[in-house]
Amino acid sequence: MITVTAARKHYGSFLALDDVDIDIPSGSLTALLGPSGSGKSTLLRAIAGLEGLDGGTVTIDGRDVTAEPPQRRGIGFVFQHYAAFKHMTVRDNVAFGLTIRKRPKAEIAKKVDDLLEIVGLDGFQHRYPAQLSGGQRQRMALARALAVDPQVLLLDEPFGALDAKVRTDLRQWLRRLHDEVHVTTVLVTHDQEEALDVADRIAVLNHGRIEQVGDPVTLYERPANDFVMGFLGSVASLGGQLVRPHDIVLERDHAAALALDAKVADSPGVITATVERVVPLGFEVRVDLRADSGERFAAQITRRDAAELGLREGETIHARATSRSTVVDHDPALAI
Amino acid sequence: MRVGTGTRITLRVLALGYLFVLVAVPIGVILWRAFEPGLATFIASISTPAAISALNLSLLIVAIVVPLNVVFGVVTALALVRGRFRGRGLLQAVVDLPFAVSPIVVGVSLIMLWGVNGWFGAIDRAGFQVIFGLPGMVLATIFVTLPFVVREVEPVLHEIGTEQEQAASTLGADRWQTFWRITLPAIRWGLTYGVVLTVARALGEFGAVIMVSSGFPGVSQTLTLLVHARYIDDHNTYGAYAAATLLMGIALLVLLLMTLLDRKRSDR
Ligand SMILES: Nc1ncnc2c1ncn2[C@@H]1O[C@H](COP(=O)(O)OP(=O)(O)OP(=O)(O)O)[C@@H](O)[C@H]1O
Ligand SMILES: [Mg+2]
Repeated sequence: MITVTAARKHYGSFLALDDVDIDIPSGSLTALLGPSGSGKSTLLRAIAGLEGLDGGTVTIDGRDVTAEPPQRRGIGFVFQHYAAFKHMTVRDNVAFGLTIRKRPKAEIAKKVDDLLEIVGLDGFQHRYPAQLSGGQRQRMALARALAVDPQVLLLDEPFGALDAKVRTDLRQWLRRLHDEVHVTTVLVTHDQEEALDVADRIAVLNHGRIEQVGDPVTLYERPANDFVMGFLGSVASLGGQLVRPHDIVLERDHAAALALDAKVADSPGVITATVERVVPLGFEVRVDLRADSGERFAAQITRRDAAELGLREGETIHARATSRSTVVDHDPALAI
Repeated sequence: MRVGTGTRITLRVLALGYLFVLVAVPIGVILWRAFEPGLATFIASISTPAAISALNLSLLIVAIVVPLNVVFGVVTALALVRGRFRGRGLLQAVVDLPFAVSPIVVGVSLIMLWGVNGWFGAIDRAGFQVIFGLPGMVLATIFVTLPFVVREVEPVLHEIGTEQEQAASTLGADRWQTFWRITLPAIRWGLTYGVVLTVARALGEFGAVIMVSSGFPGVSQTLTLLVHARYIDDHNTYGAYAAATLLMGIALLVLLLMTLLDRKRSDR
């Protein structure tokens, strides 16, 4: 369990962490999610001890480590740009932490070989980092961090520098690894899909504050505010409220739309709009609309519904949110 | 820019010709003149008592100056690249000063400082001779070679950044361990090159050293001073060529040794 209490960090006059409190349960995989500059890396590096705090405390498994240097915090850290030791072979990289701890040679050799097998780098022992691909380097960095049996594993956008395919593969792999090893893991990312995909808890950061912490379903379905809602998935603004595009129903008949709407107490009502574009996205179809008020929004409907409606550009249509939709009042101050 | 074949060949010939005339020919002439009368004459000329003593003195100065410059150079480069302190700009300028100041001026200022009538003259009067002794020559050599290690290591430090060191610290390494295992190996090429330049300059320094050396053959004559003395004072042209050849040989040997050492270490 990692507990951060009232963490504060200034860079000059800029406030990068603004009284951040967060608990990260043992064995969880928590994602720190937020836009660029929101303080994710700063928070992670403060947990690691790579960045000092101006105020607040960090405890790891009940031990107050606020004043401890990184080497005494029992952590493993993975950097976005790998931070591979360029002058060492893959084996020496992975063995580094154990060599520092002066473990017996045989034990080191066995552990390194085991780890390299787990990360799929068996047979690469004698290569140098320059002779590896980005994905392989990052797996080496992971093995290196895991070699010292850290109490917590901290990853700062570990897949950020990799191409999309490798990135999805590696994060699936990280998830499976976590299911096997169960080390408390904190993953920084600005990619909501990545957070939803691998994490069992997500903390959303904005301007150095934590907006909401919870499991992915809660955050997606019951966002605390429109920042969280907007950051976890796409949103449409419908009559001053935010809804998910796939929660919008389109009806040709205004009366039918109204009739359905009557059953919904807290919905934005029926909006009359003009179809601007119909974009097929495979299984779903995105309909770009412009309300009579001039406001633009998009609805996402199934292929079948789209076929039944037979929408054409320039036509008028009636839109409303479904009854079970996620709705958040729009607060311009929190807009992204 | 597209360059025609004719132009390209002309440029190449010019560049090579320039190097040849200005560097290769003078060195070639010295080598040729040194070995012309035969190897035995050459060896006889470089094994006179004065020559052997000069060689020893030069090597001794190198042996004192290089470790000092390595330690100071690495520490200074670290401070310049990593440090955020007032006066960093000033330090930058001071490090370059030896490049800007003529070696003769260095010699003169050393005499003014350490000579019998200088600021620190009391040390000399107390019996510890700085000027016209080994300490003076070492000081002069340190002054003129000071920038090499700093300036070679600095860009490498910039390039490697601090991430590898941070990674090492998260893996349990303290500052010393991080320095020895991560930083030093990462800057070793720059350091090697800085040392080679320092050695070459320390062996070859003339202007600053001649000012603070008493120049007695067999006592306070470095190899470079010997070349000068043989040529100018003794009109022993051949002896000057032979000593100069020895000087070049040592510098080349150092270069070769450092390269080999480094290759061996990175092969490990
Ligand atoms: N060393 C520093 N000096 C000054 N300001 C800094 C420093 N490091 C970070 N900042 C500032 O602090 C804020 C938070 O930075 P941080 O690196 O934590 O953001 P982040 O959420 O990780 O963003 P990204 O997704 O772009 O990595 C940013 O506005 C950044 O400009
Ligand atoms: Mg970051």
